[in-house]
Amino acid sequence: MEFHDDYPQYELMAHHSEEEGKKARRKLWNVFWIMLAITIFELIIGSMAPGHGWSGHLWLKVLFISLTILKAGYIVMAFMHLGHEVKFMKYVILMPYMVFMSYCIFICLNEGTYSSHPGNKAKLDPILVKQQEQLKAGHHAGATEEAHEGAAEEHHGEEAHH
Amino acid sequence: MSHSTEIDAKEAWSGGQSPFRVSYGKMMMWFFLISDALTFGGLLCAYGFTRHKYDEIWPKAEHVFTHFPFVKQHLPLAYVGLMTFILIMSSVTMVLAVEAGHRNDKRKVIVWMFWTIVGGATFVGSQAWEWYHFIHGTAEGALRHVWDPETGKYIEKVIHGANMTVNEYGVPQFANFFFFITGFHGFHVFSGVVINFIIFMNVIKGTYERRGHYEMVEKVGLYWHFVDLVWVFVFTFFYLL
Repeated sequence: MEFHDDYPQYELMAHHSEEEGKKARRKLWNVFWIMLAITIFELIIGSMAPGHGWSGHLWLKVLFISLTILKAGYIVMAFMHLGHEVKFMKYVILMPYMVFMSYCIFICLNEGTYSSHPGNKAKLDPILVKQQEQLKAGHHAGATEEAHEGAAEEHHGEEAHH
Repeated sequence: MSHSTEIDAKEAWSGGQSPFRVSYGKMMMWFFLISDALTFGGLLCAYGFTRHKYDEIWPKAEHVFTHFPFVKQHLPLAYVGLMTFILIMSSVTMVLAVEAGHRNDKRKVIVWMFWTIVGGATFVGSQAWEWYHFIHGTAEGALRHVWDPETGKYIEKVIHGANMTVNEYGVPQFANFFFFITGFHGFHVFSGVVINFIIFMNVIKGTYERRGHYEMVEKVGLYWHFVDLVWVFVFTFFYLL
């Protein structure tokens, strides 16, 4: 025997008519075009960044993160239908997450300064530092030069072992 | 939509109905997604923390992910852009399947779920391809200090590609986080494809037609959109910034 309570059938409440469906579909496709435009914009800015010396700038980071949050908002509100749920449901889903993540980000930023203090700086392998400098100067030139150097070193190392 | 009408607080909490106006299953799917989102949030915070620590030598994604299938030239970030497009597209087809379910249109649900599964499988395949190139690395390789067990010393050696201990493109931590976070996300996509396929078979068999509603499609849709949501963040923090 199936279980029945006198609760309303929430599963059926989401049903809609043909015309309502048409409207909903138009909205969803609009969201898709907006998200596609944002992603293409991000990729264009991202590929232009090294040439213009924008890489690592604060405004670029802020731009990318805010565009990401905008996209996340579209996914959660339109695709996951959270925008259609009642107010209580929205708060129950979003508030605990916002509180925990804000705290996590705060604590990372606050305690993250530990590694910036002169005495606590991570010891960097000079080879890695050199590689990143060469990569910034130009990918191919640096890589081939490094390979020749490396091959010679390897050979030398083998001889020493014998 | 018809079910979105607000009710006043006093009536909502007085019993006999859900104050959230959703079914039990959908609510629990949301609870699961919050906990999963917290896991990913924690991982990305740890990523940001470590990246900040090695700020000067953290590799730039445009130097690492330059390959595109069947193309010899270097096309930085082009393939990951395509992967992102595929995943957003599959999210759209999923939400269209949910919309068709709201009209009890079985044929359309089947069509849109089919394309969702195709998109998801393509994404998983693309990620495997990306991992393959990251692990194998370039022909030139890069010089590293590598532990030599025979001499018991660190020796300088040219290495190719990345694994959990060495990384041709920069600090090993970059590879560790890349493998762990994209791997964890990729596993979510994989399980999403499997769950989508099970629900897809049920739709074809007519399980939900007999039940009178397609809420299972909506619930698996929530999971699928969540996977897309996580990727949006992974894409930004690993590839763009």
